[in-house]
Order: sequence, then structure tokens, then C-alpha cells
Amino acid sequence: MAGETFQELIDRALDAYAELAELGETVEDEWSYVNDLADAWRARFDHVVEHRGHAPAPDEASEATDRAIDEIGRIEDPHRAIDWLSTFPQVVLIAMGERP
Amino acid sequence: MRFQDAAQDARSVVYAGIQADPLVGRCAVLLADANPAERVLARAVMNGETIEPDHWRAMFPTLFGSGATDDATVLARSEAILQASLAVADRGEQVRSQVRGALVEELTAQLLMRRSVPGAVKRERRILFDGVPAEIHPYDVTVEAAPAAEAYDCKWGARGINADVLHQLDDARAHASDEDERLTVALVVFDARRSCEVRLARQSAPHGATGLVTIESLDSLALPAR
Repeated sequence: MAGETFQELIDRALDAYAELAELGETVEDEWSYVNDLADAWRARFDHVVEHRGHAPAPDEASEATDRAIDEIGRIEDPHRAIDWLSTFPQVVLIAMGERP
Repeated sequence: MRFQDAAQDARSVVYAGIQADPLVGRCAVLLADANPAERVLARAVMNGETIEPDHWRAMFPTLFGSGATDDATVLARSEAILQASLAVADRGEQVRSQVRGALVEELTAQLLMRRSVPGAVKRERRILFDGVPAEIHPYDVTVEAAPAAEAYDCKWGARGINADVLHQLDDARAHASDEDERLTVALVVFDARRSCEVRLARQSAPHGATGLVTIESLDSLALPAR
């Protein structure tokens, strides 16, 4: 989505991330790990919002985030969802020019 | 303390075939010289659902977009990593899972070889101690050189960290110490440190003396051991 701020980009990413976490939670043995993992990465995104949430995000970062959201939207296997609970934030942060 | 090749069984024979897959070696060579974003690219693509190259190029604008480097060597390497990763992703789910595991081991071995004496880096080895029953599972990668040997267990993702592997690594370190030998033990995980720390925080198995090498710090394997 062109012309958005980093806060808006991250909000979209976190909405998709929440759905991914819901899928991962269906692996019952990993329920608390999934939630701890998601909390840890949300905290990293919160840090970015705090520091430059109001700054305009480059269009390429927005496009990259759309692609990453599309990618996790295709996942049906909850085990793969857990893998992506770690991978997705790394991809989005790198697209924003941040270190994971 | 002494090292020994792992016994051959059906699983190890099959896995040896995976380890010998040229694609594993090609990916490891590329990723040994990769930058952090390229390594995350490889992780994402090999974990991915899509095998459409432009989808991934658009997802990594810092590698392929307008802000990417104009260094032709780096651009070519990023593209080669993308293509090799897509080749892994294009395998069936079970095979790609095995390839990813073998890749982390090969990458670890290649980086360790950069600072080790020739022949010191070995794969699939058991470590034997006097009066201690041998572990069933071999260590993925070892460095067998004085003054301190090293043993590594390699994981594709943070979720692979579990009590068994932590016990095995810490037990080996402790048994070596009992014999007045030094054995450095570490996990190598092709995943973010943040995710690994979340996983480790949930483990009660001893890991205070076990090193952790993550996707961000892989290059440290090539530096002289401390």
C-alpha cells in the first residue's frame, strides 16, 4: 500500500501476524511457545513504531510487506506457521531497513 | 575423550545421500559468504509456499530493489541464493526438510574450516568418555584439534532446540571436563537470535555453558575460537 507510514505498514503486518499465530496455536504442545514468540516479535515492531512510526515508509517496503502477508496467507500447515512466526518478522524488518 | 565415526544404519545411509546432494553444497558455499539479508532470504524461500522468483525479489527490496547495492558481485550472489533456495523449495516437503538440515550442517562445517587446521572439521561423530555410555546420536559437526575440541549441533529453526540436544551437548562438555579436557559445545541455528532466546527461555535443561550461534552471527564460526 503506497504512501503509508511505518506505523500503518506495521499495523497491517501485525494483523496478518496475529492470524498466523492463531494457526500456530493449533499445535497444542507449542501453544505457549507460539505466544511467547509472537510477543517477542511484537515488542520488536513496537520499538520501530516508537522510533519512526510516523515516518513515511518507502513504497518498496510496503510492497514487500504485502508480498510477505500474501505468503503467510497461503500457509495451511500449523507447523509451517510456527516457522513463519519467526521468519515473517525478519522479512518485514529487513524490508523496512531495520535489523531483525 | 576420543572421537569416533558414527555407526552406519539405514537412517544414516539415507541421510548421507542428502548430505552429498550437490544442491546442499551449492547452497552452503553461497551462504558462507552471504550477508544477513541474503541468509534470511534463503530461510524464507526454503520455508516458503511460493516458487515464483519475482514474488521473492519484491519481498526483499534491499537486495533486489532500487535501494540494492550496485556491486555486481553481490547482486549476482543474491540472485544465485534465490535460485538455489527455490530449487530447495521445489522439492517435496520431506526432502526439503532434510536438505535444510543438511545445509545448516554443511554451512557450519565450511565456516569452521576457514579457521581450522586441515582435517580437523568432521561430520557425524560420536564422542566417547571413559566409563560413560556413548550417546546414540552423533554430533553434527566437530572440530578435533588441540587445545580445545568443539562439538556443534545444527538446527534449521529455533523450534528444533529441545531438552535432548541441550542435555547431550552439556553432558559432553561436563564429561570432557571430568577428564581434564576442554570441549566447547554450541548450537548453530539458522534462525533469529530473538526466536532462539524465546525457545531457550522455556528449557530447563542445562545450557548456560552452551554457545548459541544464530543466523545473525554465523560468521563468528570462521573466527578463531575463544
